[in-house]
Amino acid sequence: MSVKTTVSDTGPWVGQPLPRREDARLTAGAGTFTDDIRMPGMLHAAFLRSPHAHARIVKINAEKARALKGVHAVITGEDVERLTKPISTIIPFKMFLPNYCLAVDKARYVGEPVAAIAAVDRATAEDAAELIEVEYEPLPAVVDPWEAIEQPPSLVFDEIKSNVIWHDTFSYGEVDDAFARAAHVVSDRFSVQRYISTALETMGVIGKWDSSGLTLWSGDQRPGFATHALTTALQIPHSQIRLVSPDIGGGFGNKRKATYMVIVALLARAADRPVKYLEDRQENLLGLVHASNQVMDLEMALDADGKILGLKLRDVVDEGSNVINPTLHSMLKFTNMLNNYTIPAVRFEGYAVLTNKCHSGANRGIGKPFMCFVIERAVEMAAKKVGIGSLELRRRNFIPASAMPYESPMGNVYDSGDFLATLDTALKTANYDDLLKQQEEARRAGRYFGIGIATAVEPNSLNLSAYTLMTGRTDTSGVGEGALVRMEGDGSVRVSLGNTASGQGYETVVAQIVADELGIHPHRVTVAPGFDSAVNPWLHCSGSFANKFSGTDVGAIIEAARTIRGKILRIAAHLTGRKAEELTIREAAIWVHGANEPLLPLAKVAMTAYRDLLRLPEGEMPGLEARHFYVDPQSNLPAMSKDDKRLRFQLTFSNSAHIAVTEVNPDTGAVKIHRYVIAHDCGREINPMLVEGMVHGATTHGIGGALYEDLIYDKNGQMLAGSFMDYLKPTALDVPEFEVVALETPSPFTPLGAKGVGEGGSIPSLAAITNSVEDALKPLGVTLTELPLTPNKIWDAIQKARGEEKRA
Amino acid sequence: MSELKQHDVAFTVNGKAETLSVSPRTSLADALRDTLGLTGTHIGCEHGVCGACTVLLDGKPVRSCLLFAVQAEGAAITTIEGIGDAQSPHPLQRAFNECHGLHCGFCTPGMIVTLSAFLKEHPQPTSADVREAISGNLCMCTGYQNIVRSALRAAELIEGAKP
Ligand code: FES
Ligand code: FES
Repeated sequence: MSVKTTVSDTGPWVGQPLPRREDARLTAGAGTFTDDIRMPGMLHAAFLRSPHAHARIVKINAEKARALKGVHAVITGEDVERLTKPISTIIPFKMFLPNYCLAVDKARYVGEPVAAIAAVDRATAEDAAELIEVEYEPLPAVVDPWEAIEQPPSLVFDEIKSNVIWHDTFSYGEVDDAFARAAHVVSDRFSVQRYISTALETMGVIGKWDSSGLTLWSGDQRPGFATHALTTALQIPHSQIRLVSPDIGGGFGNKRKATYMVIVALLARAADRPVKYLEDRQENLLGLVHASNQVMDLEMALDADGKILGLKLRDVVDEGSNVINPTLHSMLKFTNMLNNYTIPAVRFEGYAVLTNKCHSGANRGIGKPFMCFVIERAVEMAAKKVGIGSLELRRRNFIPASAMPYESPMGNVYDSGDFLATLDTALKTANYDDLLKQQEEARRAGRYFGIGIATAVEPNSLNLSAYTLMTGRTDTSGVGEGALVRMEGDGSVRVSLGNTASGQGYETVVAQIVADELGIHPHRVTVAPGFDSAVNPWLHCSGSFANKFSGTDVGAIIEAARTIRGKILRIAAHLTGRKAEELTIREAAIWVHGANEPLLPLAKVAMTAYRDLLRLPEGEMPGLEARHFYVDPQSNLPAMSKDDKRLRFQLTFSNSAHIAVTEVNPDTGAVKIHRYVIAHDCGREINPMLVEGMVHGATTHGIGGALYEDLIYDKNGQMLAGSFMDYLKPTALDVPEFEVVALETPSPFTPLGAKGVGEGGSIPSLAAITNSVEDALKPLGVTLTELPLTPNKIWDAIQKARGEEKRA
Repeated sequence: MSELKQHDVAFTVNGKAETLSVSPRTSLADALRDTLGLTGTHIGCEHGVCGACTVLLDGKPVRSCLLFAVQAEGAAITTIEGIGDAQSPHPLQRAFNECHGLHCGFCTPGMIVTLSAFLKEHPQPTSADVREAISGNLCMCTGYQNIVRSALRAAELIEGAKP
């Protein structure tokens, strides 16, 4: 199938690069983001945050702050302990854990909120924060995750009695046998730093109480998760919590923040006024959420021909102070641990470790970019050892297209994809042979010119049964989503979703999908922007995560639309004395199959459904509204036996091949990206223009992670990257012009054959860039295992290699 | 400290004369957003790096988070709201839609304001020129490529509209 690049004015709409509906308001600056909402009497909050990585809070004196003119409420840990219950945790810890919205007994990272103030304006609230006196007793900070395991200088949560909050081993296939048979074994240690997507809009919350309970406005990405956390923390009925999401200025998984919501709710209740809180950028970098720094030891066993026989992995994830939803970075690795290879055996030993850093959490791909980095680095190392090219080694190990759907030893079912074709497309697009010649010339001229390749699967939707395997929790399983479709009496349609967009363009793509199902023009379909828990259909797992839109969410949308379609046809049949099976809907009219003239306008049927109540078919409920809660049929339960830990962790698999062409300046260690080629396959593309945009954005995030971004802590746990001067994001000058080619292998497992795309670029890019930079430095024999590849680090590696050269 | 003396400041915003009473520490961004309700000017960092808050001050792009409102005395300010709207979009607004130059749209007002001044001075830019021009504006969503395309397309649209 080829991807469409022009829009036609008739359906089918799915597959067309339709320009977005949401752009008119957003390009005019007329969006409504959280900070754009104003309410009469609204107060503004500021937080006082801990300057210490780890410190006992001896005393807080907030009297001066309370007395400041313009201040309406001040809360500290003492109030929070009295007024709330701790935020619930994903690991069912047996002991009581004091993880409240504010630090209660001690502060556990630099930037942890210690007190909160609501005042007439933000400046006054910040003035008040300065007047709060906190007596801290500094404690030794736990910073290094290995140290946290082996010789902890202290405990992050004294109650847990260890900094290791999760440790488990998973074995699939005959691992020892694989290593016993191996002709080659490659082993190394790899690591990735903390980095984060830093949505341009920081996280904010507005809270307001009235007689119906608590309403919150926030760009939260997991409404089910958040409202549940609030109901436990605040001890109010779930039905009295309403969450409204306005426009969201980027999310990438980062915007889930029940703690902020609880703080704002408490302030609003204390002040009896609406209260708004919005992070400033420093607070955002210090305290919203970080992707974990991770270290992995890998051993890869191969036979003499370069067939991978097995893997042994030992993984340490630094969760920071996260007890709310730790193990995510470990869990997501189970989805791409074997990448796109037939690897018959793997043993994974994982640790999740607490340190005195910002809590870890969801960020574009979670553990997958690092997992792919480790495998794709190892493949390069293995190829050298076996003595074949790394392209050849990949080809020998790819899961063949003919094996699809393919069940991996760990129970993932790869639905579709032709990995060989993807790789070949990338090579062809890059003119690989030419590139090799260019490289030869460059090397002759003494330049450090590298070509790096990485192939990857991009798993989609997340089967939450995985929590059972990871944490023993047995109250959460499967994955689903809700959608509400309502056709009005004039035949126009409104759709509300359980998932909220933060840039994905749902107002456009959902209109395309529904227009096809209901035989109308997408302009007649309005997709409600944002989310309102009092109106939209939602489940506990609702929201934006794990690339679940293309399969799971689309399932809900299509089922709801089909319910309406069926009803329209039944009413039309009744009105015209035909059989429903004889009829179809297109161009906003009812037609007999194959007829040249429409039978009657769709609006006539729709209007009948709403007002001509006695002329409806017998037993037919009036109205054309359908709410569908969809359970992804691919999600399953684990076997629950000790030695069978197989699961469909994620449910469909997009794939890609990235080729990065870089050059290293040996005098500065700086990396320049000359070209970046991407071949990717996310199944049937609902809107190719939007798909390609996602690929650009996600890959840019990976480039940032590979080269620039580092949420660095010093040995005392001080965060050294609290602004965009220190935390470097890629700019337009750092990012190349991407050359993107799409393949379309439809998934047999999703309603439209579509697969996920939002995370994809971020997964192989760490490896593609690193493979490229290492290739550039090949004349020096440098091995790169630690990210990010900052100029410093590369320069050091060059000096070291040159030193060794001289000594030799 | 909340007792800081208020100051009057007068300037024009999108062609309309305004006189505001502001605290000396109020940034121009806050004055535009909070006092005048022009929330299209976004705040992404408040320390001059991201460019989301860009407005035109006498035709020149400035970071409204780094200016105090009182510093804009007498100036002619243009915000995204003054560049165009859904009914009469600026060619840049049209082009951003055609070329998918935005995802979440949070950086977009700053990008469009920056580029509106740039295209006046460089009516026929190359993509390298555009990258240079927006190198002080961060976008976390698009990877910039389609923003560059949008700017080039807008230049075409502006050129095509010339008599
Ligand atoms: S908000 Fe002004 S430059 Fe970022
Ligand atoms: S479109 Fe989201 S920051 Fe640029």
